Amino acid sequence: MKNIFRLENIVHRYSERTVLDISKLEIAEGEVVALVGPNGSGKSTLLRILAFLEKPTEGTVFYNGKLVKEPSFTQRREVTLLLQNSPLLRRTVEENVSYGLKMRKDTHNIKERVKRALEMVGLSPEIFAKRKWFELSGGEAQRVALAARLILRPKVILLDEPTASVDSESARIIKEAVFKARDEWGSTLVIVTHDLPWVYQITEKILSLFKGKLINYVPENVLAGDWKPYNDGLLALRLADGQILIGAGSPQSGSLALLDPKDVIICTEMPEEDSALNSILGTITSMSLISESGQVLVKVNAGGKTISSLVTEKSVKNLHLHPGLKVYLHFKASALKWI
Amino acid sequence: MRKTLVFLASIALLLTLSLPSTAASQYLMMATTTSTDNTGLLNVIAPAFEKTTKIELRWTAVGTGKALELGKNCDVDVLLVHAPDKEKKFIEEGYGINRREVMYNDFVIIGPRTDPAGIKGLKAIDALKRIKSKKAPFVSRGDNSGTHSMELELWKKANITNIDKEEWYIQTGQGMLNTINIAAERDGYTLTDRGTFIKYEANHNGNPPLVILVEGDQLLFNQYSVIAINPKRCPKVKYDLALKFIEWITSDEGQKLIADFRLMGKQLFVPNAAR
Amino acid sequence: MNYIFEGVIGAFYLLLAKDPETYSAIWTTLRLSTLSITCTLIVGIPLGFLLGHYNFPGKRAVRTLVDTLLALPTVVIGLLVYAFISRRGPLGDLGLLFTIPGVAIGQFILALPIVVSLTASAIEGIDPKIYLTLRTLGASDMQAALSSMWEGRYAVTAAAVTAYSRVISEVGVSMMIGGNIKWHTRTITTAIALETGKGEFSMGIALGIVLLAFALTANTLVSSLRRRA
Repeated sequence: MKNIFRLENIVHRYSERTVLDISKLEIAEGEVVALVGPNGSGKSTLLRILAFLEKPTEGTVFYNGKLVKEPSFTQRREVTLLLQNSPLLRRTVEENVSYGLKMRKDTHNIKERVKRALEMVGLSPEIFAKRKWFELSGGEAQRVALAARLILRPKVILLDEPTASVDSESARIIKEAVFKARDEWGSTLVIVTHDLPWVYQITEKILSLFKGKLINYVPENVLAGDWKPYNDGLLALRLADGQILIGAGSPQSGSLALLDPKDVIICTEMPEEDSALNSILGTITSMSLISESGQVLVKVNAGGKTISSLVTEKSVKNLHLHPGLKVYLHFKASALKWI
Repeated sequence: MRKTLVFLASIALLLTLSLPSTAASQYLMMATTTSTDNTGLLNVIAPAFEKTTKIELRWTAVGTGKALELGKNCDVDVLLVHAPDKEKKFIEEGYGINRREVMYNDFVIIGPRTDPAGIKGLKAIDALKRIKSKKAPFVSRGDNSGTHSMELELWKKANITNIDKEEWYIQTGQGMLNTINIAAERDGYTLTDRGTFIKYEANHNGNPPLVILVEGDQLLFNQYSVIAINPKRCPKVKYDLALKFIEWITSDEGQKLIADFRLMGKQLFVPNAAR
Repeated sequence: MNYIFEGVIGAFYLLLAKDPETYSAIWTTLRLSTLSITCTLIVGIPLGFLLGHYNFPGKRAVRTLVDTLLALPTVVIGLLVYAFISRRGPLGDLGLLFTIPGVAIGQFILALPIVVSLTASAIEGIDPKIYLTLRTLGASDMQAALSSMWEGRYAVTAAAVTAYSRVISEVGVSMMIGGNIKWHTRTITTAIALETGKGEFSMGIALGIVLLAFALTANTLVSSLRRRA
């Protein structure tokens, strides 16, 4: 698939402080990319660079295969960014939604297009078109802001915590509308969010930023599947090879458990029996060094599921860990977090 | 299209606003003293002058000192002022020509009815000496006007100097009527032209807090003169119109108007243009 | 106390009877203030926008200078303008002394720092995310600048009204440059300042009432805009 973005050796600084340091990043056309990481990790800065709103201090950006030195008007207008609490202009809803088209002097059939854009975000044009910016709830305002972007049929939609501060109904509609845009026009989506269940639902491609750097592990193991009640109020998930994962707690809905790789201990021998402790046999598939911490991320395939564990370099040496080795993964049932 | 129209309309509006309101074909700009304006004399003179000559008279009422300054800067065409010594210097320095005496009234020293310094009926010089020795409040224009010049001359003649910082000597820097009002507030004495005092009396329906205590002294004679600004120094000045005004105000018609001008039945100015 | 009462009665008589002298002063004030405020806004709003929107070396110094000029006394402005437009001054040939455009120059100098300073503050007060939004919706630099000025329209209008109130209520410039010439440059304030000196209390009170009405209108406008902004 063709790359819509390729970033090389990007370094971005605010005065002397380096906020972004990415050696390589590729995003394919039509792809859905989730960007996660703690606050201040550089996610929003990366989005602004992708949106051509800021130029990186160093490095090169390729857009649609072309090197971008000064973003052209056309390039800039193919990409749009939706912020958390995106502010509306002090105008009516209709004028907010049509603003981008008017700036492009593209006013053909504009009323109809505004209507369609509003419908896409679940706002009735009859009720909302003439409303003033201050006559909307937070969720409605965010949906109007999204409509103002969708009407432009952008090639790339960058979303910065789009649903973090809206009601659940609005959040649902926003999520749906964004994917409708992708399905209809093949828009590429880059989403910054803390909404992990949503992330795992929508994409495999999860980029994690930490202190301005892309780090190559998924922060949490996701154990999705058919969790069933087990004895003593515990829950169990049967893996494809018949092994059973046991979790404590009471999930509200769905069947998604997160497991922090730091909570997973690797042993080369079967430990003593303990009902509160999971001991799952698996095979090491890959090992990678996390430069920031000096720790090693070991990925283990157990019954078709990949479970990662974070261990020290010393343990790797002591246990003689290597890909292909059969190991036991130990973790408490209570280490599972339900979402 | 609509924006262009609005823009043009605004420009038109601005132009209209900046144009003079009455398209008077000719007008004469005069600087004069507050006394001629405050008494209302000019409100009588200006329309009559315009009727006869078709020249509009515009004036700004300032002290004589400021009026002479405006003349020096060529900002006015003609002066009507009352400080003969300063006027003569003004002419000698070549700023003005064609000085003609127009009218006079006289200065009076006014003060509270109770007359705490006891100056009633004295000569002007003696009155000032009494005021000084009693340290009674004396309110001065302090604005370089004709009246102020006269007052300073009287102090000089009384051999009283360095009164600027005396506590009883108050300088207002304002017009005559305001100065009288301040004197009334402070129960003080002041020097005023008779015309303005009559106006002041009229404002208080003939029963003012301050009354005339010294009058009729030869030294208190107050001569008003009219001066044209010298066109050699100020080429843009409307010298011909200034001459017309000088001619008119010293003519029988102008002089009679001055003689007939009355407030509360009292004549304020005595015309005395030389024939 | 009686004369105050008589003054108020007389004031309403003058206003209701459309006394030509009173109305001349009102009309002159309106003409003059409209002229000076229009020129001020044409120059001041773009300058205020530049000052509020862009960062450049020395910006802080310029802001300080503008804020200092807010305190410029009208008599100093009057003196300055007189020095320039007096016949002997560099602009003397234009014959602006004792004219409405002449006074408007002084009022322009008086009102400009107000408009520039308040506009700059208004523009600075706009959420920076708004500018980001305008850009990401595809506005060019020029379009984004105009749109963000439109975003600040209520605050800018409030700035204009504040400047207008200052202009109609000032007396120093009008007196020194205008000369308080009857039928021509006699404004509400110069009339009050000098006519009351003649004991014409009624006219002073009548004009005071009109000025208060202007100020009330302007301030009602400002406060209603502040609420919306």
